[in-house]
Amino acid sequence: MFTNTQIDIETLPKVSDIALIPVEKSYIKIVLFNLCVIFISIIGTLFGLKFLKEDSKFDSIATTLIIGLIVVFIVQFVVLVLGFKNRKYALREKDIIYTKGLLNFSTTILPFNRVQHVEISRSFLARKLNLATLEIYTAGESGSDLKIGGLPEDVAESINEYLTTMLDDRV
Amino acid sequence: MTVYSFETPSRQSLKGVIIIFAINLFKTIKKSIAVIFVFAISYIRDFEIVNNHGLKVVLGFGIFLIILLVISILKYVTFKFRVDENYFFLNKGIINKEQITISKSKIQNVYIKQNFVQQLINVVALSIETAGDDKTEIEIHAMSKQKAKALKEVLLKHNSDEINIDPVAEDIYFKASIKQLILEGISENHFKSLAFILVLFTGVYRDFRGYIDSFEIETKFKHYFEFDEFDIATFIVFNISLVIIVLIIAFLFSLIKIIIINFNLKVVRTANGLEISKGLFNKISLHLKKKRIQSITLKTNRFKQFLGLYSLRFTQTMGSKKQKERLSIIGLNKLKSNELIRGFYRDVFKNSNKQHPEKYFMRVQTIRWSFIVLLINIPMFLVSRYTLFLNIPILLLILLHVRSSYKKAYFDLDDMYLIKGSGGAIETRTDFLELHKIQSVELTQSVFQRRRDIASVIIYTGSKGFTIPHITRMNAQRIIDYILFKVESQHKDWM
Repeated sequence: MFTNTQIDIETLPKVSDIALIPVEKSYIKIVLFNLCVIFISIIGTLFGLKFLKEDSKFDSIATTLIIGLIVVFIVQFVVLVLGFKNRKYALREKDIIYTKGLLNFSTTILPFNRVQHVEISRSFLARKLNLATLEIYTAGESGSDLKIGGLPEDVAESINEYLTTMLDDRV
Repeated sequence: MTVYSFETPSRQSLKGVIIIFAINLFKTIKKSIAVIFVFAISYIRDFEIVNNHGLKVVLGFGIFLIILLVISILKYVTFKFRVDENYFFLNKGIINKEQITISKSKIQNVYIKQNFVQQLINVVALSIETAGDDKTEIEIHAMSKQKAKALKEVLLKHNSDEINIDPVAEDIYFKASIKQLILEGISENHFKSLAFILVLFTGVYRDFRGYIDSFEIETKFKHYFEFDEFDIATFIVFNISLVIIVLIIAFLFSLIKIIIINFNLKVVRTANGLEISKGLFNKISLHLKKKRIQSITLKTNRFKQFLGLYSLRFTQTMGSKKQKERLSIIGLNKLKSNELIRGFYRDVFKNSNKQHPEKYFMRVQTIRWSFIVLLINIPMFLVSRYTLFLNIPILLLILLHVRSSYKKAYFDLDDMYLIKGSGGAIETRTDFLELHKIQSVELTQSVFQRRRDIASVIIYTGSKGFTIPHITRMNAQRIIDYILFKVESQHKDWM
């Protein structure tokens, strides 16, 4: 029989009620390692140029740049460390939730019935630590996609499987 | 139904060779324009070279044209397409053979286009756009008009949805008159074209700096205005007239652009959507399917509102910039624009329950703008202390802008649609979207927002994200829970 009862918005399932699971602690090593690699390579290049070019004008510019970069690096480092505890995820029956960010905290919710495809990737370090990154794509802009790093390998694997079977069923 | 059969592989019209040749020639010239320019200038300067090498140049150019013609013929011969029940097939390529297969159900748009050359030899181009990325646009360069129309119909007809692109009523629903187009052009945001022109000029100048400098324009100008005596009045007159000339160019640029793109704009309503055609040198006609629309934007500004002009813009998944231009209708009045929106979103205007952002919105905007003003002030202060008086009108403008954007910002969420209003001192825009087109939602909260328990909601559709800024966190959470309930509880197709 067809029914069409009024919906009380207050009784709807709430995203805010969900107990979120933090990503693996060991993942912070990878995050920080990646940050260090980027900054060390940039600063290293600048140092190299400084030695090669014996130009006093360039020298002073490079020094200022290096100092600036180090400051940015430290700030980034602190933000990443403090913000790491905000990286949490949760699965519900019909969607997946991911939170992140320190200065700009965000919660993204992606309904399963909008998933286009799923990807798992493991970097060299992640393989050592038994971690995986799960990427869930929707149609449209990149902003609507979800990338969760630092999942235990088996969890990423099972979410991937769950979503893939659901995609197959949907046709 | 149609006299044309697309079941067997067919080539485009023989005239296609001309079109392919013209396109290739144009592309090559466009790529090598800098080189040609440089050569041309050196020839002009030194006629000796022309006398000695004139024949060689002509001969070289002739060989180049022949090679181009051979390539064009080969391209024409190898280009074959056919359509079956569910797919469109295309074979092309001279050395690297390519076979492209497109599922009919994935075809987002079929355009019938006609550029200047195609108008001359009376053929049309047909291009197929899929919901993938914008690189997958396929173009058949030359077909007769009837054949293109028949192919378009075949491509848009798909088993799962009975598409009927025959107009509901034969008559044209809307036709933009030249007067309307001129008014639209005049009331455009000319700063956009100004910015475009400035970018273009600086680019061209950088490319040809050497040559331009060699003409010694500067010294000629200096001589003309007798700058040696450094007359401050002349200096001011010179600069003001320069600014006025640039402004006039920008004004004419946007006016002409609007008229050329939208020349003879016609809209016909069909059972499943709209048939839009427009363009002067590049004629284009397309069928906009209701199902494929991700959102609709209604835009106007203070001047346009006064003139009764509104424009509609439709978005689809993965729209390119070109597509955005194509999927817009300008010169509408309020009644017609609302009627068109209602044609797609039937009950969108039924309930109105506008909610405004928190007052915090104004605070954020004010702080953001003040910061920019502060940055402008540093060079201004260095130039002259008197320029600081410029801050008074600037601050007044910002005040007006912030107040208007706060007043114009609202959202309206009911059980089928989301309406979002936004704008500034001059512009007003309203976005409409269906809830079942939403792909994902995000709640964001900056450190500053957290202190006041305020948050923003970003709603992603297949085409773009819509931000509902600065509402209470409670409200934001409720909106998200509600949207998720709507998206997850019904199995409506989002595309």
